[in-house]
Amino acid sequence: MKCKICSRPVKEKGYCSLHLKAYQNIYGKFVVWEKALGVTWMDYLIKISKNSLSGEWAKEVAKHLIEGESRNDKEK
Amino acid sequence: MRKYTLIIAEKPDTANRIATALDDKSSPRRETDNGVPFFVAKHESKELVIASALGHLYTVSGVKKREWDYPIFDYQWTPRWIAEKKASKTRAWIKVLSKLAENATEFVDACDYDIEGSIIGYSILKYACNSKETVAKRMKYSTLTKEELKESFNKLLSHLDFELVEAGLARHEVDWLYGINLSRALTLAVKNNNSTYAMLSTGRVQGPILKYIEIREKNIQVFVPTPFWSITAKIRIDEHIFDLEYEKKAIETKTEANNIAAACKVRKGKIDKINVKEFQQKPPVPFDLGTLQREAYKLFKYTPIQTSKIAQHLYVNALISYPRTSSQKLPPTVGYRVILKKLSNAAVYQKLAQSLLAKDTLKPNEGPKFDPAHPSIYPTGNMPEKALDTAEKNIYDLIVRRFLAVFGEPALKQSIKVSVDINQNQFFMTGYRTLKECWIEYYKPYIHSENISLPLLFEDQKVAVQKVTLKDNFTKPPSRYNPQSLLRKMEKEQIGTKATRAMAIQTLYTRKYLEGEQNMVITGLGFEVAGVLKNYCPSVVSSEMTRKLEGKMEQIQLKQDTKQNVLADTIKDLKIVTSSLKHNQSEIGMQLGQKIKQLQLDKRTIGNCPKCQIGKLVIIRSKKTGKRFIGCTNFFENACNTSFPLPQIGTIKPLVSPCKSCGYPVIKVLIKSKHPWRLCLNPNCSDKEQKI
Ligand SMILES: [Zn+2]
Ligand SMILES: [Zn+2]
Ligand SMILES: [Zn+2]
Repeated sequence: MKCKICSRPVKEKGYCSLHLKAYQNIYGKFVVWEKALGVTWMDYLIKISKNSLSGEWAKEVAKHLIEGESRNDKEK
Repeated sequence: MRKYTLIIAEKPDTANRIATALDDKSSPRRETDNGVPFFVAKHESKELVIASALGHLYTVSGVKKREWDYPIFDYQWTPRWIAEKKASKTRAWIKVLSKLAENATEFVDACDYDIEGSIIGYSILKYACNSKETVAKRMKYSTLTKEELKESFNKLLSHLDFELVEAGLARHEVDWLYGINLSRALTLAVKNNNSTYAMLSTGRVQGPILKYIEIREKNIQVFVPTPFWSITAKIRIDEHIFDLEYEKKAIETKTEANNIAAACKVRKGKIDKINVKEFQQKPPVPFDLGTLQREAYKLFKYTPIQTSKIAQHLYVNALISYPRTSSQKLPPTVGYRVILKKLSNAAVYQKLAQSLLAKDTLKPNEGPKFDPAHPSIYPTGNMPEKALDTAEKNIYDLIVRRFLAVFGEPALKQSIKVSVDINQNQFFMTGYRTLKECWIEYYKPYIHSENISLPLLFEDQKVAVQKVTLKDNFTKPPSRYNPQSLLRKMEKEQIGTKATRAMAIQTLYTRKYLEGEQNMVITGLGFEVAGVLKNYCPSVVSSEMTRKLEGKMEQIQLKQDTKQNVLADTIKDLKIVTSSLKHNQSEIGMQLGQKIKQLQLDKRTIGNCPKCQIGKLVIIRSKKTGKRFIGCTNFFENACNTSFPLPQIGTIKPLVSPCKSCGYPVIKVLIKSKHPWRLCLNPNCSDKEQKI
């Protein structure tokens, strides 16, 4: 199985080891953002995907999650 | 037949210095044989012949086998000109040394007194001089001044430092075994699993360095910043404006930050508390090579290799002591007062040197590091015979001033912390003052004494609040390594030796695993190589393994272990490593192959296709005609047929900026012994060809 984002082999949750680490970081930091700014999950993803200090792999995962969420919304 | 003592130095420059120092009239005769220089000197009625190596003349090489495969564990020491194409020059040197050895009655090894120097001298005595390593005497010195060279020749050590030699031979053999086996494993994995060939290499010391940089890069790429806020204030006291910081450096929520900022919108505040502390700051410690390299990078942005080369040059000119030392000690035997007296002859150092000479006792502030072979780096006090260039001047001046500073008294400093209350919110400002400069005076301009002077303040004093600023911030990702921080990391992890660290970093650039000088970025290829090594042979990139091996080599030097043992262990470890690499060859080949193909494509890529705007223009060689031309990558999707003819001879390199007249990509054509020219790909361009 290949990673949802790149062609590396999957480690967990459909991500390779590199994108998995980025994904875990994104999940872990949400509480900090929520407390600091009261942002929603979607707002948060958009903000970090545009932040110049975010790592490239973190941005890739954030964008991937944004696409997934909007797909879910349409299906609803 | 004339009889003489043969002295072997490490390099021709050093041979010249030694010959001049030992010759009774200070003018030895320079002779050459086959272009190889050597010197003949008269020393108290004895004849001396001083010849030199040209760095290493012998090296480890494999015992030739028909198949290019791995693992390989058979090796021998051979002349470098046989093992390396680039070393053909060394053939004549070995020949001349052998010839000079035939008539010599006594042998003296005068190569640099460290691991590399000891192996150079040993292998020449053993292989070129017909096994004279057992009878040769050893000259030991730390500076190339006339006085020290003479003294060291009069007090020759009775034999070579065999423990140091053993440790050095072990290091070379271990490194060779790692290098050859790992490099072949990677190269063959790519070759056997892809229709492409690329020479890949790595070594024992490069592995862990690559891993540090890879880990750092990963942390940067998965980084997610978090927001925080900070508040600063400007206040006025008398006619002075001061900057204050809010007591909490980082405020975690926007609401809290807004509330504080709003509460601080008042006209007046008052000084709460003034805290004055006096403290001493000790002088710096003498330079070992690592500390010198870091300081030179900080002050002048010289890379570790540059600094090492400059220092070597200063050493050969007898201006400083031996620079490849890890010592931070400065024993009295170096002669503090003699050096200071000599330095005081130079107008720039006169006042400083004299003020130290006036002291009753001179005691340097030594650091903890020790090196059995040499003291720390210090100036000899000699004045340059030839003018130094800017870089040499900078490093020389830095070394002199550092030497002076280590003898200085501790500086006396004062810190002042003032807390200010603005509507019940605490703000701070800090000032520093140097009360007594002491050693700082000697080390200027390489250190500034920070002075933030505050006017007379007292508690409960009212201050005018001019401005309160609320700032949005984000946490920052870790920064990339630079030469200075990477060198420090290697020292901390005890990877490599002071003589090899800078070179090991350079090798990573040559192998295209690393890019960027100040901000070291790992390349895609470097990233994959590090990944492969980490996955399939983690011991190779672990600091622990490298450190353990360094420890064993130190033990050889202390006679607590033997070269045979260390080599046997190495081969045992490498058998495990190579069998894992062989077992996983196809996965490794695939992982690396993709990156290599990408790189090879990048190299052939000229620019974006001006017609379809999607494809890339690449250099293609026609299978039918063998001729090369430029085509669009979209051609293979049947979507674009753009193509341009190319000149059939010469090297082609893409130029970054497109044609100024028409915007098409431009290439540079290089043909041997011809002037290079630029060529616009657009056949109708008015500015098609131009010499550069
Ligand atoms: Zn991935
Ligand atoms: Zn095209
Ligand atoms: Zn043009």
